[in-house]
Amino acid sequence: MRRLARTDLLKETASMIRLTRRTAIVATLTAPLAAPALRAQSLTRMRVSVIPVLDVAPLHAAIAQGYFRAEGIEIDTSTTAGGATGLPGLVAGQFRAVFSNGVSTMLGIREGLEFRFISGASRGTQQAPDILAVLTRKGSGIRTGKELEGKRLASNTRNNIVWLRGMAWVEKTGGDWRKVTTVEVPFPQMADALAGGQVDACISSEPFVTAALESHGDRIERIGWPISETAPGGTNAHYVGIAPDLERNGEVFDRFARGLHKGVDWVNERLGRPELLELISGFSRVPLERMRSVALPAYPKGVTPAEIDDLVATMQRYGLTGRYPASAGLIHRTAQV
Amino acid sequence: MRRFTSGFWLILALLALWEVSARAGWVDSPNWPPLTHVLAALLRDTASGEIPMLVGSTLARMFAGLAGGTVAGVAMGLLFGASPLAARVLGPTVELVRPIPIPAIIPPLVLFLGLDNGMKISIAAITAFFPVLTNTAQGLRAVEADQLAMARTFGVPAWRRLFLVTLPAILPYVLAGLRVALALALVTTVVAEMIAGEQGVGHYLVLMQFAGRAEEMYAAVLVLAALGYALNRGFLWLERRLIGWFFATGRDG
Repeated sequence: MRRLARTDLLKETASMIRLTRRTAIVATLTAPLAAPALRAQSLTRMRVSVIPVLDVAPLHAAIAQGYFRAEGIEIDTSTTAGGATGLPGLVAGQFRAVFSNGVSTMLGIREGLEFRFISGASRGTQQAPDILAVLTRKGSGIRTGKELEGKRLASNTRNNIVWLRGMAWVEKTGGDWRKVTTVEVPFPQMADALAGGQVDACISSEPFVTAALESHGDRIERIGWPISETAPGGTNAHYVGIAPDLERNGEVFDRFARGLHKGVDWVNERLGRPELLELISGFSRVPLERMRSVALPAYPKGVTPAEIDDLVATMQRYGLTGRYPASAGLIHRTAQV
Repeated sequence: MRRFTSGFWLILALLALWEVSARAGWVDSPNWPPLTHVLAALLRDTASGEIPMLVGSTLARMFAGLAGGTVAGVAMGLLFGASPLAARVLGPTVELVRPIPIPAIIPPLVLFLGLDNGMKISIAAITAFFPVLTNTAQGLRAVEADQLAMARTFGVPAWRRLFLVTLPAILPYVLAGLRVALALALVTTVVAEMIAGEQGVGHYLVLMQFAGRAEEMYAAVLVLAALGYALNRGFLWLERRLIGWFFATGRDG
């Protein structure tokens, strides 16, 4: 009896091994890097942390157009929840470059981390429409920051650029930002939280603004443009590297920036054209029809000390106080364009 | 054949309620699409090969982790059983680490193991390790002393006693632990995929959520529900075949 069970067991183990071997083969086939193994040897592989938003269009354009490959670089994007998640990965050496909003980057620098700006990524446009918007419920009577005092305002994260521009908008429109309760709500859920009454307003970002107005347009409306009303053309996000890596491998980052900046040109030449919307729809999976009504940011190549100084001054004003190093020393040569 | 049990009808009724609530506008949000739209999205991305590939890669990671975690769990359990000293030294640490929710330790694991298979497989392995360890230790206590004593009397050497008496005797307990681990490992593997990297069903779910494509997002949720169910059924079948003798003695898992 016992012996019989054991033979059964052996048979089962053998078939399990076959099964795992098969799954291993499936896994190998599905591994994204399996195909170009030979060519990859001659290419420098760089892993870049991104978020699936409009701001990273130039990076995807440069990948799709082969600009990085022409520079001998293979880009491997990894989606994270944003700079606050990507930056620790940069410190740990998981990423060579991180797409990060300016506030998260500067907070890291304040804490002594050696982040350097290696390229601009996105900034606000000079006039509306811009990529951030303040949304409220129709009929709530809330039009300004003053009326938001004592109310609940949703932001995707506290202490990032979205939150900062939102606080600036509250003050600009007569409110005291300290009297507004910030609630963290992920972008995709903001429209539901607002329509359902869990929050009184939200600072949303494209393409979620367009999606919210499409689906809940009868119940919610836009009352403000946080970037263009408080800091027209203000800085938003950048590509960030870490100083020791930049010093050792400066030449790799020169090539990275050249490829990326060709992608920026590609995007800027196609603003409002279908190819660009198709590209963005392709990597973000946002439906193409919705992309047609979405507002886009400006896509700069460089980072200026003035925009970082402005950012730091705004951060100091809204409670993110402390000693920040001089901005000029934080901008790597690839971003001084 | 009791094919259409009341449980089956309840599932159908809930799915119908989903469809009606979305169609009739009881829940009016793009984040609550009708079931038929979800099924259409599921069909589309299954036919395109995207979902099968993602499911395959998620399962490969999960099973690799399960295998590693089970081996480690059984080994550690045997060590606890063989050496009271090891149990005294390591026991408190195990008891302290065991209740930590796995998602809470993903950030440090990312720091040490990166964002790829290594990290995700480790997460599945850690998930499997603890239930298997606890059950192995419990199983060892349940091994009938008479069996071991008899084997010893007949001069069976210790290492053969391990393979001939102890391991078969604790197998039902290990399998019970593995069944718990299986359900948990699917959850933690997907959570790990949701947090970082561009792999598997977890990443698909988050990508679709951020793209405002609720149909695809729920399609992934349905796939996970079906996977969890199928894995459990498959495991029960395997268990009946592996340890039929255990159930045959009138005990019930």
